[in-house]
Amino acid sequence: MSASLGSPLSRRQLLKGAGAVLAAGAAAPAIAACASGGASAGGSGGKTTITFASAKFFAKETIGQIVDEYNSSQKLVNVQYQQLPTPSQSTEVHQQLVQSLSQRDGSIDVFTGDIIWISEFAGAGWSAPLDSYFGQSVKAEYFPGVIDAVTYDGAMHALPWYLDAGMLYYRKDLLDAANIAVPSSWSELVTAAQKLTGTHKVTDGFNWQAKQEEVLVCDLVEFIGSNGGSILAPDGKTVTIAEPNAVAAVQFMYDTFTADKITPKAVLSWDEVPSELPFLGGQAGFLRNWSFVWNDAQTASSSSVVGKVGVTGLPAFPGGKSAACLGGYQFGLNASSTKKSAAIDFLTWMSSPATQLKWATQLGLAPSRPAVYNDSELAQVNPFMVKLQDIFTGGTPRPKTPKYSQISLAIQAGVSAALSTGQIQSNLESTKAQIEQIIG
Amino acid sequence: MSSVTEIAAPPREPRHDVPRAKTPRPWRQLIGPVLLIVPMLASLLAVSLYPVLRTIWTAFTNTSLETQGSNFTGLANVRRLQHDSLFWQAWRQTLEFTAVTTLAETLLGLIIALALYKTFRGRGLVRAAVLVPWAIPTVVTARMFSWLFDQGGLVNYLLVTLHLVSSPVNFLGSTTLALPTLMVADIWKTTPFMALLLLAGLQTIPPGLGEAARIDGASSWDYFWRVRLPLLMPTLLVAALLRALDAFRVFDLPYVVTGGGPASSTQTMSTYAYNILFSGLEIGYGSMIATAMFVTEVLIAGVFGIFIVRRIRQEG
Repeated sequence: MSASLGSPLSRRQLLKGAGAVLAAGAAAPAIAACASGGASAGGSGGKTTITFASAKFFAKETIGQIVDEYNSSQKLVNVQYQQLPTPSQSTEVHQQLVQSLSQRDGSIDVFTGDIIWISEFAGAGWSAPLDSYFGQSVKAEYFPGVIDAVTYDGAMHALPWYLDAGMLYYRKDLLDAANIAVPSSWSELVTAAQKLTGTHKVTDGFNWQAKQEEVLVCDLVEFIGSNGGSILAPDGKTVTIAEPNAVAAVQFMYDTFTADKITPKAVLSWDEVPSELPFLGGQAGFLRNWSFVWNDAQTASSSSVVGKVGVTGLPAFPGGKSAACLGGYQFGLNASSTKKSAAIDFLTWMSSPATQLKWATQLGLAPSRPAVYNDSELAQVNPFMVKLQDIFTGGTPRPKTPKYSQISLAIQAGVSAALSTGQIQSNLESTKAQIEQIIG
Repeated sequence: MSSVTEIAAPPREPRHDVPRAKTPRPWRQLIGPVLLIVPMLASLLAVSLYPVLRTIWTAFTNTSLETQGSNFTGLANVRRLQHDSLFWQAWRQTLEFTAVTTLAETLLGLIIALALYKTFRGRGLVRAAVLVPWAIPTVVTARMFSWLFDQGGLVNYLLVTLHLVSSPVNFLGSTTLALPTLMVADIWKTTPFMALLLLAGLQTIPPGLGEAARIDGASSWDYFWRVRLPLLMPTLLVAALLRALDAFRVFDLPYVVTGGGPASSTQTMSTYAYNILFSGLEIGYGSMIATAMFVTEVLIAGVFGIFIVRRIRQEG
């Protein structure tokens, strides 16, 4: 304990030292830049150096390479890239960001964080509101769902980067053969899945995830959201998880593996991959999952359904709209940064349509700007990604509250108990009480 | 390894009390020895006592990385712990897990150790092979078991093919079966370790005793119950103690296989503390849970300690 509490201080000192050395090193080329007629920033005549902390992403290119492109594209700002662990170790990424941001020393200027941390960082006053830099016209260029997700207490606290969302994969070949339309409501999905299992085309009708972990909250947001309900009201205080439309949605989740028998009972132990495998093996008709499944399904070595899969938005209940739980990392600006104008220049570039296209084609990260999906280059490099535009239109954020991580744990335990026992109402009531206690 | 055999070796000879020096030493003569002990003592205090005390102190504060606050809050965390039904559920489940796995691993380990003690061709190879499950990292074991026990996994395939069940058993998604399934995984993995400890204990029993027993007409059953088991008891108790303390901290298995679910039925003390400490970043309350774990472990060790001391006294 003591070591982990003591280390940020020394790390900060180390960073400061490193920053000084780097500034000295950067001075020589900066003087040359001035001589060649470049404008100067920061008053000292050199480039303004800012620090960008981000989880590690890589595919054809790395984040470091994209940052370098920015550095060489202009003469005012020099970005130091500080690499955090990969998003699969999100607990550690979160911890490192919290440790750094809570020092309020501006040791990092720009960071990327999971979409679910935005309210926490905003509520603590660690991330700067961005509304004075990005007006309504800029916000209108992004999907409305992601703008909702990055807005806390009426102010925008992150600039959108890339998105992921829950979607419905289906066996196009089986639906065509049985002359079944792609379901747009949950009852259609039940009928279709029962038809496929009834004729022994597949053993599992519809696979989703109910393991007691974060993915259960995502699935929950989609089921409840598609019934016009929510977990928390927009005010971030009123708990709505035990309202009739939420209870009905959770009852449906329970029915999928009891009354309707379209989902195996093992769903209670499934996260993303265990639910995906039967689908790849050709044993499931429908699957709720994230965008990565598409590539897996098209890989002949691991999939027996290459070319037989379709993807669409998740179904909805009568009177509800399809909801897709939003994931992805977004850009934040440290409220304690002393170099905000340089940071904003960098952020603007990082989230610009041209750079978003690069993220999409080079790193496989889906754009948060609808316009990028119309680019012919994207259709050529990654035709699947183009389809995501419709799905992200129904993007729904998870509950927005600074105490999200604690609330998420309470939801996971409560909903897992509801689904295991079938006592939906009482478990959701007690979950509601717990969430109210956490929010205070 | 060496420490294992040291622990396992029962005292063979009665201890002779060293006669104490009668003349009181002047303090100057103590300086040298004390100086030699100090570095050892200091490092021991720094790495074991300080963190424990620090954790206990933190347990009575509201330290949180999020609020940056760290105020002494008295018994607030104790009261929260009292009413934390998830904590008590995890506590009960962890004790259950510890009791069942320790008992099963000790019994199975004993049987394997007795078998490995016998001389047969390829014994060296078998002794080495037995250790394989134990040598695999637990995270890998955990992944393996989640595939094995999934509805489409090998276990269900065998059960259905052999017509033992009509439809796949929901091992990991059922509140009644998930914890026992994790116990099976742990028993599979750690029994070899127990077998090895007990084998080391068996080898310290003089073979002459067996011959003497046979000459006296004792059956091998009598020989086991009246000679080998009593002599093995100290080793067995120490090995079971080590195992129990280790089982109590179980983390990787539930974390990877079930995430603590379904309905928190496989939540253990460690996974619960991890959630509070690292996901919720509530260092204060998390430390209270860690302290509760510490107290429970001390109690477990105390119960074993009483048995071990009594056993050694009987022999002495």
